[in-house]
Amino acid sequence: MSETPAVQANHLWLSYGSAEPVLEDVSFSIPQRTIAAIIGPNGCGKTTLLKVLLGFLAPQQGTVEILGKPPREARSGVAYVPQHFTFDRSFPITVLEFLQLSHPTCPREKIADYLSHLNIAATLNSKLGSLSGGQLQRVLIERSMLGDPKILFLDEPAAGIDIAGEQSFYDLILHLHREHGCTVIMVSHELDVVANFAHTVLCLNRKLVCQGRPEQVLTSSTLQRLYGKEASVYRHHHGAL
Amino acid sequence: MDAFALFGLPFMQRALLAGIALGLVLPFLGVFVTLRRMSFFGDGIAHAALAGVAIGLLAGISPFLSALGFAVLFGAAVFLLERKTTISSDALIGVLFTGGLALGVILISLRKGYQPELLSFLFGSILSVAPQDLAIILAFSGAILVVMLNLRRQFTLLALDRDTAWLYGVHTGALDLLFYILLCVTIVLGVKLLGIVLVSALLIIPPTIAKILAPSFRTLLLGSILAGETFIVLGLVLSYWLDLPSGATIILTGVLAFLLTAATRASFKA
Repeated sequence: MSETPAVQANHLWLSYGSAEPVLEDVSFSIPQRTIAAIIGPNGCGKTTLLKVLLGFLAPQQGTVEILGKPPREARSGVAYVPQHFTFDRSFPITVLEFLQLSHPTCPREKIADYLSHLNIAATLNSKLGSLSGGQLQRVLIERSMLGDPKILFLDEPAAGIDIAGEQSFYDLILHLHREHGCTVIMVSHELDVVANFAHTVLCLNRKLVCQGRPEQVLTSSTLQRLYGKEASVYRHHHGAL
Repeated sequence: MDAFALFGLPFMQRALLAGIALGLVLPFLGVFVTLRRMSFFGDGIAHAALAGVAIGLLAGISPFLSALGFAVLFGAAVFLLERKTTISSDALIGVLFTGGLALGVILISLRKGYQPELLSFLFGSILSVAPQDLAIILAFSGAILVVMLNLRRQFTLLALDRDTAWLYGVHTGALDLLFYILLCVTIVLGVKLLGIVLVSALLIIPPTIAKILAPSFRTLLLGSILAGETFIVLGLVLSYWLDLPSGATIILTGVLAFLLTAATRASFKA
């Protein structure tokens, strides 16, 4: 018998008010323990799709199954790192307190241990508002991983991180994926990252344009269908996108 | 005169007990009010409660209880309208707040003669806490404190990161409604001592001061409560000694403390 997919989306339709649909008949399946990337132009429904998969938004038509269950019932196995975590930076809450909000029974030692793995051990008792963008993103990753999720959703996770930090950030995601065996589903604009890290790519432009392995999908013809006529793929002589 | 003779006076004992209870719950909820940027909501509830006071006065029932009921209705109405309409929360509160205030003024105008109770509701009075009022304040404050202590983690998570709160199993809608109701009740509890016009200041000033000084969330909560208790006790004593309205004295004590804190700590933008 085949394994239950991590995510199964069936004929999803969603529009905000009376506007044009943001998602039009979107169907796909993502197997467990894969890294999937959702790519597409701005306004194509990437973040909306992620919110539907997470259960934050209900589609007008269609169904979502996360590990064979509706999103609400699958919450305990799911973690999420938003694109922007906006909060009042003058609000005094330490990193430890912040992490214990989501994981109240998690021992302090485990939290400190994770922070060491993420190279931000010194921030344990720092105020959350005093962290840099990269440090904050790592804290959000830690928060998501402390619950040992089966599926990790990332919405443009490297937004706000400088170029130098980006590579190590994605290396970290890859390491966590290998160590924990969790499925990673991320929205990304960075096609080079997608080419290097993803096992499967979903090309979205309100409709699902195509889905497949990066080498199948990241071609000039697909990208032109997705982004318009100007888009094309250039590969460096060493093979990178 | 013995400086501490006031503590032997029954009305002062009631005011102090009520004040100590309010000094626990108002700043406690105030931490979440400031975190959720709901200051206007607090002000709105207090003003709309005037309609409840007027209904109580006209109907010959306890204006305190009718104000409690009316404020809870106000909170539930804001909660529902925020979810069922596209009108912004600020606009909704602005309309309902002024509507409640206007209704209260009209209803009160139907009563003839001088309205001493109305003045005490508007500006607060240490003389106004009757034994039955004290019982209501202590009972409700105790219940609110128990709920807040048990659900403070969920309320904090909800205020900081709503989506994640939902993912971690928090019933976000139900908890929002509960928070609105707790807030409405707490504010009306404070109306007797602080007055409709000023009560919401005790929600805001203690956490604002504590926020400048606190290094952590735990110290923010404790610092807010400590500041609230200090302002209330000091304000009540000063209002008795100087024969000033209790609400205004308590709030001015808090405002002075805020100005001192802000002036001595770097809380200005560069």
